[in-house]
Amino acid sequence: MQIMRSIINRALAANKNNVFFALSICAVIAGVAACESKSRDTTPPVIDEGSFLPADCDIYYTGDTMQVHFVCSDDTELGSFNIEIHNNFDHHTHGTSAVDCDEEEGGEHEHDEEEHHGEDESHDHGMVEGAWVFSRDYAIARGKTSDTIDVAIPVPTGVSEGDYHFMLRLTDRAGWQSIKAVAVHLRDFVE
Amino acid sequence: MYLLSILSAVLLSVKVPVEPDTTDLRIEEVTVTAVHRHQNPVASLNSVAVEAEQLNGQIPSSLSKGLSSIAGVQASSIGSGQSRPAIRGMGFNRLAVIHDGIRHEGQQWGDDHGLEIDRFAIDHIEIIKGPAALMYGSDAVGGVLLLSSANRPHRHAGGSACVFLQSNNLLWGVSAKIEGEKEVVSRNAKGGILYWRLNATYQDYADFSVPADSFEYYSYRIPLYKRTLRNTAGREADGSLMLGYTSGNWHTSLRVYETWAKSGFFANAHGLEVRLSQIDYDRSRRDIDLPHQSVNHLKVLCHTAYSRHHWGIEVNAAWQHNLRREDSEPVSHGYMPTPPDSRERQFGKHTATLNAAAKWLVTPRHTLRWGLQGEVQHNRRSGWGFIIPDFEQYGVGLYAGEEWRATRGLTLNAGIRYDFTHTDIHDYRDWYPTPVGDSAVHKLRSASLARDFHSFTWSAGLRYRHEGWLLRANIGKAFRTPIPKELGADGINYHIFRYEAGNADLKPENTYQADLSAEWGNEYVRVQIDPFAGYSPNYIYLNPTAAYSEGLQLYRYTQAQVIRAGGEAVLTVRPWRHMDIQVQGEYLFARQLSGDKKGYGLPFSPPWRIMPEVKFHWLKESGFAALNVRICGAQRDIVPPEKPTPGWWTLNLSAGQRVELQDCALNFTLAADNILNTKYYDHTSYYRLIDIPEQGWNMSVRIGVEF
Repeated sequence: MQIMRSIINRALAANKNNVFFALSICAVIAGVAACESKSRDTTPPVIDEGSFLPADCDIYYTGDTMQVHFVCSDDTELGSFNIEIHNNFDHHTHGTSAVDCDEEEGGEHEHDEEEHHGEDESHDHGMVEGAWVFSRDYAIARGKTSDTIDVAIPVPTGVSEGDYHFMLRLTDRAGWQSIKAVAVHLRDFVE
Repeated sequence: MYLLSILSAVLLSVKVPVEPDTTDLRIEEVTVTAVHRHQNPVASLNSVAVEAEQLNGQIPSSLSKGLSSIAGVQASSIGSGQSRPAIRGMGFNRLAVIHDGIRHEGQQWGDDHGLEIDRFAIDHIEIIKGPAALMYGSDAVGGVLLLSSANRPHRHAGGSACVFLQSNNLLWGVSAKIEGEKEVVSRNAKGGILYWRLNATYQDYADFSVPADSFEYYSYRIPLYKRTLRNTAGREADGSLMLGYTSGNWHTSLRVYETWAKSGFFANAHGLEVRLSQIDYDRSRRDIDLPHQSVNHLKVLCHTAYSRHHWGIEVNAAWQHNLRREDSEPVSHGYMPTPPDSRERQFGKHTATLNAAAKWLVTPRHTLRWGLQGEVQHNRRSGWGFIIPDFEQYGVGLYAGEEWRATRGLTLNAGIRYDFTHTDIHDYRDWYPTPVGDSAVHKLRSASLARDFHSFTWSAGLRYRHEGWLLRANIGKAFRTPIPKELGADGINYHIFRYEAGNADLKPENTYQADLSAEWGNEYVRVQIDPFAGYSPNYIYLNPTAAYSEGLQLYRYTQAQVIRAGGEAVLTVRPWRHMDIQVQGEYLFARQLSGDKKGYGLPFSPPWRIMPEVKFHWLKESGFAALNVRICGAQRDIVPPEKPTPGWWTLNLSAGQRVELQDCALNFTLAADNILNTKYYDHTSYYRLIDIPEQGWNMSVRIGVEF
């Protein structure tokens, strides 16, 4: 290890021209870099976990209203968001599945992660007849670095009950994206 | 390691080439140029040559990966068996791959599409760093990869065969070549030589292994079974045939190449998407389940060259058929119902090319060069995913250049070129209905479009040799015609889970660049420094926007001003006749100067790299042992959705010995890559976006026989 380090060091030391060249290029670039704005956003927006609704394994009834609530922020400027709800009837528990809400046991199975169980629409193995599909894009007013979002989504009647995934996708102005997924359950409302 | 042999090629290329002094020799060289080696015809261009012997000594599982040991050349790997090349960070359609005089045309736009060429059928490679639009037209923005399999056998009959193995992905492969030539006497009693060659290669590899038990993606922890990346196995089968005839001033040959490759995509995350599946991926390490890709590339090429007195003429005609298919588990998305089969995308592209070039040695000091290049492309898609439309494209380019040997050491060259391209894009409607108001419509995605593109380019350069010095300098304009995907994409790219929208108003992308190459050396030391700087007023960029379209983030093609600068440096020292020390370095910088992403760099930007190597050789260089370190800087100059990539270094060893026997020669090569089993990420790798590390420790063996 020591020998290798010294080889690298010697090689670098020997390569003065290389270093000099790199330095001169760096000088040019530093010039360009100095002229450009420093406000380059390099981080995705943040979805606050604390007060996020819906919560994992929440139960909703058909004809009910799903109250979506979250606080989001970005160091530069927020962009827009999309809410998407799709069925998880086949309980894709293979491999990387995150949360699987089992009604009988009334809790979460142990899995690797609680959030972001993927943009799972790709795993509905088939569009199930009668399953609820919801997807809508929402704008956030320009210039905001944080926002509190409240959206009421009416759950239609006549859709199939079962497990669903709630997906929130959020961008900032620069085009970075954050995703949050929640497993929810839908039941038929019976008088 | 295997890269070694390529490094030594760089070393060899650094040696001062012999400049022909007489005009006759010059003509001779011109002819040979066209047919055999030194394919780069422009004296001032910065090119690096790699010979067949060097290629044969290495063991990379793909061509581009082997070339990435040259400063200024990068490879983006798609798993362990395929990769796509880049020169100075410019890949995709900003790099022209010229195979035996014909532009290789596949679906170069795809970040998971490798180069469909059998590396064992290539004799000679030249890499032009920097724009070379004058001779090669559109796409030669970052540089040109000149691949030649045109060497005439020069022996009665012979061949070679080799077996190669790799430990990391349990790869095994075989490649064989037989060739020969025969003197024939034609009717007018002029002698000619008939020659032929056959190549065949097959390789099969399993899921590759990484130095990690699991990795984290989007806060998912994805456990890895036996430290392998499930479903990254693949296979490749290639075959080629060459038949040629040469007589006096004539040379003509017919070549057929066929490449087939199939490989899986990592199962747990395809593109940006975490995937869940019922498939039992862990039952075998060698099987290829969904999602996977396969590609067939057939190329038929006819080459004819003729030279007489002060004239030389060369004609290349070719037809290529690229059939690519990408399969994944059919799943519904939004209003798209579950598709009936796994065929997500299929592209069938035919390309017909005709190139004609003429050279005239006007006086011993002046050479004039003209060329005509024509190309027709015909592309048809199928499958349930829509990403590029059906299209036809017709292009024609005309160029003229002059070379002037001003003094014994100084050569000046300049040229102009005009290109016309017509693109016809067909409209496309969804195969499923989308409810709009009370009715359901098959939404129009790409609208039909006809566009004409005109490009006028020029370049000028000089080459100056004096004592130990060699200076090459170029200035010029290069261009790239917008591809149909950039003009007409309109739909979800399921490979990366985003909505991609084309822009029918794109203009040809122009680049103005100046580059310099300065070499100095004697028999002990050689230094080469190759800086460059370029500006593009309308770089085509797929811009990630803040908006959503059909539930996915919208990416839209735009054009922005971009500056790029950087360069390479190589230092070679021979302190002892059995020892070479070489250090290569490269650095790149890019900035968008306008548009939405003003202040950002460009996607897939490689960070700086330094590659020191110590090599010992013995017995007239028939045997060698080398130690090589690859040091790569961190990349924090990122654009969405990239992630900052930390720096890394790997240690690699290789050794080889050639044994001459009575009727044959044996070649043994042994390489150990990443011997410290370092876990690292390559910023330009296809799997970087989903946080998959690069291959861990890998041992390669190659045994070859020449007869």
